[in-house]
Amino acid sequence: MTERSGRLAIVIVGGGASGVLLAAHLLHDPDADIRVTLIEKRPAFGQGIAYSTTLDEHVLNVSAFGMSAYADDPEHFWRWLNSQGLAPEKNPRKIYVPRHFYADYLADVLDGLRRTEAPNGRLHTVSEECVAVATTPSGVDVRLANGTSVIGHVAVLAVGHEEHAVVGKDIAIRPGSEADTAIDPDAPVLILGTGLSMVDTWVSLAARGHRGRTIALSRRGLISSIHRKGKPIRLDLADVPLGTDLSYFVRWFRDLVRETERGGGDWRDVVDGIRPFNQRIWRSWPASARRRFIEHTRAWWDVHRHRMPPELHERITHALADGALELVAGKLAGAKRDGNGFAATIRRRGATETQTLSVARIYDCTGISSDLAAGSNPIVRSLIDRGLARPDPLRIGLDVTESCAIVRGDGQPSERLYAIGPLTRGAFFEIDAIPDIRMQCAMLARNLTARAGLVAQAG
Amino acid sequence: MLTKKGKYGLKALVHLSGLPAGQLAFVNDIAVANNIPKKFLDAILGELRNAGFVQSRKGKDGGYRLARLPADIKIGHVVRVLDGPLAPIPCASRTQYQACEDCEEATCQVRHMMLEVRQAIAEVLDNRSLAEMRDAANDDILADIKYQI
Repeated sequence: MTERSGRLAIVIVGGGASGVLLAAHLLHDPDADIRVTLIEKRPAFGQGIAYSTTLDEHVLNVSAFGMSAYADDPEHFWRWLNSQGLAPEKNPRKIYVPRHFYADYLADVLDGLRRTEAPNGRLHTVSEECVAVATTPSGVDVRLANGTSVIGHVAVLAVGHEEHAVVGKDIAIRPGSEADTAIDPDAPVLILGTGLSMVDTWVSLAARGHRGRTIALSRRGLISSIHRKGKPIRLDLADVPLGTDLSYFVRWFRDLVRETERGGGDWRDVVDGIRPFNQRIWRSWPASARRRFIEHTRAWWDVHRHRMPPELHERITHALADGALELVAGKLAGAKRDGNGFAATIRRRGATETQTLSVARIYDCTGISSDLAAGSNPIVRSLIDRGLARPDPLRIGLDVTESCAIVRGDGQPSERLYAIGPLTRGAFFEIDAIPDIRMQCAMLARNLTARAGLVAQAG
Repeated sequence: MLTKKGKYGLKALVHLSGLPAGQLAFVNDIAVANNIPKKFLDAILGELRNAGFVQSRKGKDGGYRLARLPADIKIGHVVRVLDGPLAPIPCASRTQYQACEDCEEATCQVRHMMLEVRQAIAEVLDNRSLAEMRDAANDDILADIKYQI
């Protein structure tokens, strides 16, 4: 079908962290008879949005052992840090290194693969934007912006996070995007969202010497807790209630926290202890529980689950105390252009009146896209329009099976189209951190290489 | 260990899964048909309602029905709600651990293997739905009938 019959051709759309991790897992088995084409529109592979920052203060919020490209070799990243002389002389379980180190690491992993695969042609990288993915009777046709196509048997979407502002479209911008140009350091700024992306944005502003008023707004105004070394409780799946309503689960969880704290433990021990089961719990829930979780519990969960390294937490605590950063619980009621800046109308939580702020910039750090079909990704939108994919019931990602196959509009799983990473959050929920993505990549790579064996036999 | 409570709860759910979708059943009818003490069944159904597996309506036409399709209710999920963590013996549970009076947990080889057994229990029960449990019973009867013929 491609250059050699029998060889399974896999096209990965998106060469950010997820795409590179999948390529690495696919090529892990030197005998797998596959051809992997990795397509990335950015000049550099392995970065995506998450790892394109160059700021030292933007650190990983997972320790070095959680970040290895390979789940079965947790020290891989740590060894790389050491080989580059970048490892601080501390316990690797505790250190949080700059994120751009990770981008360099993934680029290096990919370079290594390019070298080892050069003689046998199993890896091709293409620096071009993908504009559409179509299925054909024999496989997939991945169209590029330059008018050419990449043909394969299977395509995997690894397109990562929504790149454009979702809230206040055309008014708000994503931090770190092209629109994020320098502004007057004394101008007031509004950040939508109070999670870790907000913290990143504030850190970037501080690094640019920003002095103007900086307001971070979210419904509850909650901010991430601090990382603390603890001892996660041991749980088996047999201990965890599954498939219940949300309130039942939350009661169980709170009781477990109380009991753990009575025994001298910490809530973090429970949050970290159930982490291995988060995807199973999510998948077991009926749609009603998932919806309620996203609406009511997620903000609370996120600040406990996604925590700040101690040094960063200390900085943010100081910034909040001296007013360099203001946290507001409330909603954005409206925003419009006003001279060179914007007039943002907000309603504080519990208040009936609104207030209008004059700001020079509005950043969207709200995270999960509220409606995937209305998102900016043309590939995803066109797949949905043509019935080749459908949004999950919550519309926060694409509907996929447990094995990452994209579910078509008619409810049947595709045998040609797959998705990994944040795009699959409707099915997996916690799938934006490396420890989860690398496991997903390992699973999909196992399934696809097994299929390669079958193709080879048939060929 | 499946307690009487767990067994009765599953029987009640199988009973409800045999009704036309949406139809309510009186607690009394479920109790009589399955030979379950009514007071006990009241408590069991109350717990299943709290966990979101059944819905109830009060009043003269009141009763219970499934909150979800039988294919969407997993047996292991129901058993955890009624009997707590899946465990062949009480010491083989991490959240509701009960030490045995007569042995040392750390060195008990029995417990060690039972921790493995509970994973196997979860593997079976979490992959079987209420619909399968309902239909399995019918299959057995059909098989018996065929055998007799």
